[in-house]
Amino acid sequence: MKELSLNILDIAENSMKAGATLTEIIIIESSLELSITVKDDGCGMSEDILRSVTDPFYTTRTTRSVGLGIPLLKMAAEMTGGRVELHSVVDDGKTDAHGTTITAYFYKNHIDFTPLGDVISSITTLIQGHPDTDILFSHVTEYGEVGLDTRELREALEGVPLDTYEVIKWIEGYLEEQYSEINYKK
Amino acid sequence: MTVAELAAGCGFEVLCLPEPEREVDGVYIGDLLSWVMGRARQDNAWITIMSNVNVIAVGTLSDVSCILFAEGVLPEADIIETAKAKGVNLLVTPMPAYEAAIKLHEAL
Repeated sequence: MKELSLNILDIAENSMKAGATLTEIIIIESSLELSITVKDDGCGMSEDILRSVTDPFYTTRTTRSVGLGIPLLKMAAEMTGGRVELHSVVDDGKTDAHGTTITAYFYKNHIDFTPLGDVISSITTLIQGHPDTDILFSHVTEYGEVGLDTRELREALEGVPLDTYEVIKWIEGYLEEQYSEINYKK
Repeated sequence: MTVAELAAGCGFEVLCLPEPEREVDGVYIGDLLSWVMGRARQDNAWITIMSNVNVIAVGTLSDVSCILFAEGVLPEADIIETAKAKGVNLLVTPMPAYEAAIKLHEAL
């Protein structure tokens, strides 16, 4: 992908498909490293599936035999000398701790590092496409933190759907404002 | 022109040719896989210097007639096996992409 934010969108869509009620998207950035974590409380994956998801010929889709979300993220991370870690607990009906966590680690100074790109648009696209599930977004940098929790937003909105035009525009502005504060400190 | 004829005519080395009779129509050059995925056309000969298993997956998805590795880039043996199993033709040349494209242009 030309931007990591598109990878994030792709991976978070998997969480939505897995029936997540809360998806956490956490970006942690230092001067040298950047990590992206997508954590959901969806149905989880078995050991066997977990081993095969980095294989591009594995997919949960039925329309084609190739799935590239995780393989491309892994490639983007490994191209910078980084890696991807995957953890999953299958929903067996007995535990509430089910779900999948994927973390990709990047070295920002590597010449093949893919820029993060437009994260705000990834987050709003995700909310627009799945207004009934919750998203916790956090981007931690040395200069400050950007965050959004749709659970808090939902409470404040008292029943107004998250995919309402004005709400999406507000989220956009809210995140932009937080980012501009960080950029100011840089 | 078929992939087998093209390989012989241009002097490209064959890594695997599970579908030698596929027709070649046009050329696409690119290394950013997600970009190639949306742009390479069916039956194109695709020139790249990337050689991991994702390349085979993108070759399948975009249904190119062959993948030509430029600058002598060689994929691992298990990746060639995957290509064979998925019906993706693989060729390699020591030439850079530009020169390989000129060769293809002359041949097609």
